Amino acid sequence: MTLTDVLLALGIGFLFGFVLDKGGLNRYHKIANVFRFTDLTVLRFMMTGMLVGVLGIYTLQYLGLLSLTDVAPSVVARQIIGGLVFGVGMALAGFCPGTCVAGAARGQIDYLVPGLLGFLTGGLVFGLLYPTDLVRWLMTAGAFDQAYAKLPEILGVDPMLFMLVIAEAIFLMVYVMRKTQISRRDKLAQAASGD
Amino acid sequence: MNWLTKQLRKDLWSPEAAGIGLGLVYILALWLSHHTPGAAGTLFKVASIAGQPLTANDPRNIYFSRMFTPLTDGMTWQAWLLVGIFLGALASVLLARRFKWTLMPDIQWRQVFGGAVWKRWVIAFVGGFILQIGAGIAGGCTSGLALAGGVLLSPAAFMFIPGIFLSGAIVQWLIYRRQY
Repeated sequence: MTLTDVLLALGIGFLFGFVLDKGGLNRYHKIANVFRFTDLTVLRFMMTGMLVGVLGIYTLQYLGLLSLTDVAPSVVARQIIGGLVFGVGMALAGFCPGTCVAGAARGQIDYLVPGLLGFLTGGLVFGLLYPTDLVRWLMTAGAFDQAYAKLPEILGVDPMLFMLVIAEAIFLMVYVMRKTQISRRDKLAQAASGD
Repeated sequence: MNWLTKQLRKDLWSPEAAGIGLGLVYILALWLSHHTPGAAGTLFKVASIAGQPLTANDPRNIYFSRMFTPLTDGMTWQAWLLVGIFLGALASVLLARRFKWTLMPDIQWRQVFGGAVWKRWVIAFVGGFILQIGAGIAGGCTSGLALAGGVLLSPAAFMFIPGIFLSGAIVQWLIYRRQY
């Protein structure tokens, strides 16, 4: 880690935390209500981010200015069951790891103390269970042949063309969510949005 | 300049305006740093401070000895990112003059769960516990898998996201019942 790396990480994180707060993602009702479909802020925020991100990243890669990094390997059981477990926790708590840190910065002690302690205990328990048969199965069942390959590579299509199709689809979804009152009406969400 | 100050002092931006900033975060991280933003990994590295000594004698368990070594061994790019997230959110909150010490969430929580602080703290702990296990299984959280994998067009992200919404909606339906 050079000083430049540290400063870049701090600066990029600063922007990240700033927009998480301005987007309202570090508030209980915003996360709780996206799962009730009565306030679509979280979806609109995430999908706009994906739209801008995918356009920028694939264009810079096309220009040879950036190389794609890897996320977790694609394994059917891992991500489907992991997602189902993650959703239960996120709906209960009303935060996820990144938004919990951004929520602590509002002075919300329930994010800072029980929230972080929950993550750390859960993380410790998962690590201790790592060698068990169940976790072994979860980590490997339905592993992709090319575990780190991106969708255009797997589908054998032109990355820029495929990216533009996905970006167009995301744009249309965000446009519809913004322009129409597609979310369900709800007294709870209305009262909370004034908070 | 007046316009900028006014925007920075706002409590909330439109989700799309804030979302553009989110997209920039991922572009800048990959372009300038060649790192993927993510929060859950750093939390595993903090848990590893206790976990590594506990599993040191188990050669089958490489989770804390190889995959997530203790954060006390050295700060990583993602750990600094998490520090930045806290500082950036704090700056936004202070500019909007919204900083306030609170023990539990807003109006909506009280309407559904009542005003007992212990109840919120138990549910925040249990929720955090469960979702960190989910992140361990899936290989990342909202930032490090759903969003990072999304902008990179990784199949892992597109298998992860629907599950979050399905189980999240079921849990809220069970909790809110008539108010769902």
